Amino acid sequence: MHLLKSVSPVSLENKLMSDWQLLHTEKTNGVGYLFLDNGQRFNTLHSECIHELRDALDVLEADSTVGCIVLTGDPGESFAVGANIAEMKDFSSIDGWKFSQLGNRLFDQIEASKKPIIGALNGITMGGGCDLALACDIRIASDRLKIAHPGAKLGIITGFCGTQKLPRLVGINKAKEIFMTSRTYSAEEALQMKLVEQVYPADQFMPLVRKYAEQIAHQPPMALHLAKKLLNASENVCVTNGQVMELGAFASLFPRTGTMERIEDFFAAHSH
Amino acid sequence: MKTLLVERKDSIVIFHLHRPSCLNAVNVKMLDELQQQFEQLQADETVKGILLTGAEGHFAAGVDLQEIRHFTPLEAISFAERGQQLCSLIERFPRPVLAAVSGYALGAGLELALACDYILADKTAQFGFRELCYGVLPAFGGTQRLPRLIGKARAKELLFTGNVVSAEEALRIGLVNQLFPQESLQEDVLQQLQKICNYGLLSLQMGKEVIDTGYDINLPAACKMERDAFAVCFSTDDQKEGMSAFIEKRKPRFTGK
Repeated sequence: MHLLKSVSPVSLENKLMSDWQLLHTEKTNGVGYLFLDNGQRFNTLHSECIHELRDALDVLEADSTVGCIVLTGDPGESFAVGANIAEMKDFSSIDGWKFSQLGNRLFDQIEASKKPIIGALNGITMGGGCDLALACDIRIASDRLKIAHPGAKLGIITGFCGTQKLPRLVGINKAKEIFMTSRTYSAEEALQMKLVEQVYPADQFMPLVRKYAEQIAHQPPMALHLAKKLLNASENVCVTNGQVMELGAFASLFPRTGTMERIEDFFAAHSH
Repeated sequence: MKTLLVERKDSIVIFHLHRPSCLNAVNVKMLDELQQQFEQLQADETVKGILLTGAEGHFAAGVDLQEIRHFTPLEAISFAERGQQLCSLIERFPRPVLAAVSGYALGAGLELALACDYILADKTAQFGFRELCYGVLPAFGGTQRLPRLIGKARAKELLFTGNVVSAEEALRIGLVNQLFPQESLQEDVLQQLQKICNYGLLSLQMGKEVIDTGYDINLPAACKMERDAFAVCFSTDDQKEGMSAFIEKRKPRFTGK
């Protein structure tokens, strides 16, 4: 929560229809869509794009009619690729540190969001783009997905949490292979290593993604929110503490009126 | 007699576990020779990668039971510590270490393979932990590395049943990363390792370290560690060369500086 900028309702209204430079949003049947679209061949994930993503996510987060968010590069050729290499080439260490920090803020925001965020990987997903996909709660790929982490080819490692999230998702040895070889993997390979949860054919990709997202969007929001929080926390707490958190979350979903009624019944039964 | 055959191919060193009389079973001498070799190569920057494999159709079939059956508890502890030290040394080796497995990789043999960055195999490969059948446990880190790699439930299944799994099954459960034809396994793995070793040494080394170290700490702290390592990349010649080469559409020439 502390990461969300406070945005007044008025500016949210305006922003919903506003013209972002590098993306556009849409709202249909309870699902908020965030289409990366920088007007070029690949959606590069440079600072400006990250800022816009953060703002657009704020807007969708604050909209109570949005139950689930889809992030995609459809109908373009790429989902997203990393930073602009020409720009990054001359980075100093501190530039690199700041850029990584900026990406981390976006990913913290995705994690802190109360809504499930689906990465719909429509095509080329590389480097920082792969890390953006890893930050999403669920990944759905088109069968023309091409996914890679080519940092080693460029003489760097990724700075957007990939070295930490990828091993947790696909296993430590597969993650090392991906980083060390810089190889590009297909949708089928990504599904097999559990890097993506679903693969849909390219020609029906968005209709199927929409159907999937709408199903999630129609679940009760509080239960979705708590399930996301608990599952994220399960990675970082021991099972004993995780169970305590689960108890609290479970109890909080029961309506207060129910609790009050039980208390009233108790007093009614004992007041004679 | 040596328990290890050492071969050098350009900047790659290949270790063949070699005790042909007993399917390359791991004994104290082999642990010592491996320890010595890995320690020596650590400082040798002309060695860019290591391939660990077996000889004569097998990787290694467990620990030499003849050597350990009369151990006292104290002897068992010192033996296990020796194996664990070696496996940590392999795991933390500052450059890529790949395992190429044909035939048996059982018990301590599998533990050595698990200490490598990842395992490649051919279809003759067979993997398992038979320790419980002899009333003991894997003790070179196997009970810890196996669940981290294939999940707790599958690791328990392998240990409890003592079942030996095929190469295909090992690929399916993520114990093995890729399968290659039997006749070309070593060549294929060597080729992959050579390709890896042409990339920038520093980013490979940092990547390996942040993956391994980050895996055992909580995610927020691990991401901060990655951020700092990422920033360090921008003070290297490798980063400038890698990105310039990308823009100029040519092959990079990394110097590891």
